[in-house]
Amino acid sequence: MAEAVLFYLFAAGVLAGGSQVVLRRNPIYGAVSLVGCFFFLAGIYVLLSAHLIAILQVLVYAGAVMVLFVFVIMLLNLKEEELGELRFTFWKVVGLVAVLATAAVIAWRALGPAYPSTGPARDNAILLAAEGFGGVKAVGRTLYLAAVLPFELTSLLLLVAIVAAVVVAKGKI
Amino acid sequence: MNFNPGDLYGVLPALLLAAGALVLLTSEVFLRPVEPDRRYQAWVAAAFAFAGLWASLAQLGDPAQPLFAGAAVSDGFAHIVAAVVCAALFLSCIVAFSYLESLRATRGEFYALALFSASGMCLLAQATDLVVIFISLEVMSLAVYALCAYLRRGKRPAEAAFKYFILGSFASAIFLYGAAFAFGASGSTRLADLAATVRSGSATTLVYASAALLAAGFAFKVAAVPFHMWVPDVYDGAPAPVTGFMAAGVKAAAFATLVRILVSGYGEGGRWRGLIVALAYLTMLVGNLLAVPQRSVKRMLAYSSIAHAGYLLVAVAAMGTSAPRADAAGALLFYLASYGATVIGAFAVVAIIERKLALSGLGDDLSSWAGLSEKHPALAAAMSLFMISLAGVPPTAGFMAKLTVFRSAIEADLVPLAIFGVITSVAGLYYYLRVVVYVYMVPEAKADAVQGGRLLSAGLAIAGCALIVLWMGVLPGSFAALAQSGAAVFGR
Repeated sequence: MAEAVLFYLFAAGVLAGGSQVVLRRNPIYGAVSLVGCFFFLAGIYVLLSAHLIAILQVLVYAGAVMVLFVFVIMLLNLKEEELGELRFTFWKVVGLVAVLATAAVIAWRALGPAYPSTGPARDNAILLAAEGFGGVKAVGRTLYLAAVLPFELTSLLLLVAIVAAVVVAKGKI
Repeated sequence: MNFNPGDLYGVLPALLLAAGALVLLTSEVFLRPVEPDRRYQAWVAAAFAFAGLWASLAQLGDPAQPLFAGAAVSDGFAHIVAAVVCAALFLSCIVAFSYLESLRATRGEFYALALFSASGMCLLAQATDLVVIFISLEVMSLAVYALCAYLRRGKRPAEAAFKYFILGSFASAIFLYGAAFAFGASGSTRLADLAATVRSGSATTLVYASAALLAAGFAFKVAAVPFHMWVPDVYDGAPAPVTGFMAAGVKAAAFATLVRILVSGYGEGGRWRGLIVALAYLTMLVGNLLAVPQRSVKRMLAYSSIAHAGYLLVAVAAMGTSAPRADAAGALLFYLASYGATVIGAFAVVAIIERKLALSGLGDDLSSWAGLSEKHPALAAAMSLFMISLAGVPPTAGFMAKLTVFRSAIEADLVPLAIFGVITSVAGLYYYLRVVVYVYMVPEAKADAVQGGRLLSAGLAIAGCALIVLWMGVLPGSFAALAQSGAAVFGR
């Protein structure tokens, strides 16, 4: 019961923070909302017994990555008039309705049966969680044994991102 | 579930390509910052691409086996796609050499990024896990975004790259959303586990939502309507050798993964077929219609690439029925190879013209193609051949490819779709042959020959493409047999 209350609390926080990131006109407010969103997300990870991921979420995302974001926003130093006017166009309204309708259909039809609050699936998950799940050792074993290919590929991806950033940031060729 | 070093042999083409990129990046450090020192790079890149091609063809006969505990697979389908990608990269490197040399823009990063993106494409074709698919997709896409922004002379390239980056990231997010739903439904990111969930028939709404979102993410990458908005601007703004590589490589890898997800992940029941059929109708119609009014050859080829995505979707749709699936998969592979050879050749000719335009500061318009046959009869003949192949006229590769695709659609009881495809490809004749008309029949306004040396390497690449196009058109037997052997993994 307490778990469910906490989940809805954190979920509401994530949604509120996430929507603020999109809706706020000033990027600094958006960045700060994103920090809040990350903290609530870390709470949800704790509820899922993923303790290590929760800590990394706060340390890496809410800490290191966000500092870089804020630095970049400060360096760009956008003025109010550079942000442009807020306009409601026909297609924006259509998009909003489509998004809300899709979210409603998914919430109504799909999520209920897929995530049962009782039954064998849930018991099974709790059983799995008992065995040091979510700790450094379990995450490490998963990362280096079961998920070794995606793990190594991520390093390739980061290298490509660095080279691509250098190419784009370099002077004109 | 321990790490098995033997699995690395299964991803050998991707490893070779990534190693080539690292060699190029490291060698750049030891060079003086002058241009002539960097001429070797295109050839090193081409050598690694050739090694990748050789490796993927050498593995062709091996039995299919899962790698890395089922995260990837080494099978004939993946090897053929990897071979197409490596061949596309090989030809593109040779085209890019003369293009970049004459624009004085040779840098190590160009070929390194091309090699990186090709290694992402090879892995994409092998991936059977949604996480691996996503990361390989990003390796491929990030490198291609940067290649589009490589030459930023004028406004269009920067705009094109930025558009591609923003819309591409959005498509990746849609794919990721679908992957999350698939995980929610099956409790695993492996396609095999997803297939088991689909077979058991539980959590249906979640399964359908995930199938639609995953297909939408890849519809963007293959440039299917209504996810095609980026294509004309990006094809137009990117350097022509990059555009050719994108059209051939990205399409091959994305189609291979789309097929892998739909057939291996959601195969049972084939309920996704309706979605793909609708996409194919829309894509063939809109792509061909919008290509008609284009005056810029690059933009025309961009819309033609959308139209060809429609014909390829016909083959994908044909895999969703009870008819022999391997036939449709073979048709898809054959089409990917023939389209790749044709489009790289066409963009190689465009690169030569574009280079002239860039040096003289003119815009891309059909009128700059007028009278090409008088000064460069060989170029004119090659361009006509590629246009005829894209239109699907015998005796070229494009004709055989369309024939096999439509035949597989008819076998799969998709007769209206096949008829619609034939009608739209006849409509396509108009805009392809208009280029031929300009090349041969419209006299040139003022004489200025194609400037600059180093046409030899581009000419070699064009000759190679033309040879493949004719070979696949006249004697398709060996290529078709190769494609069929690769497609055999999809069984019956």
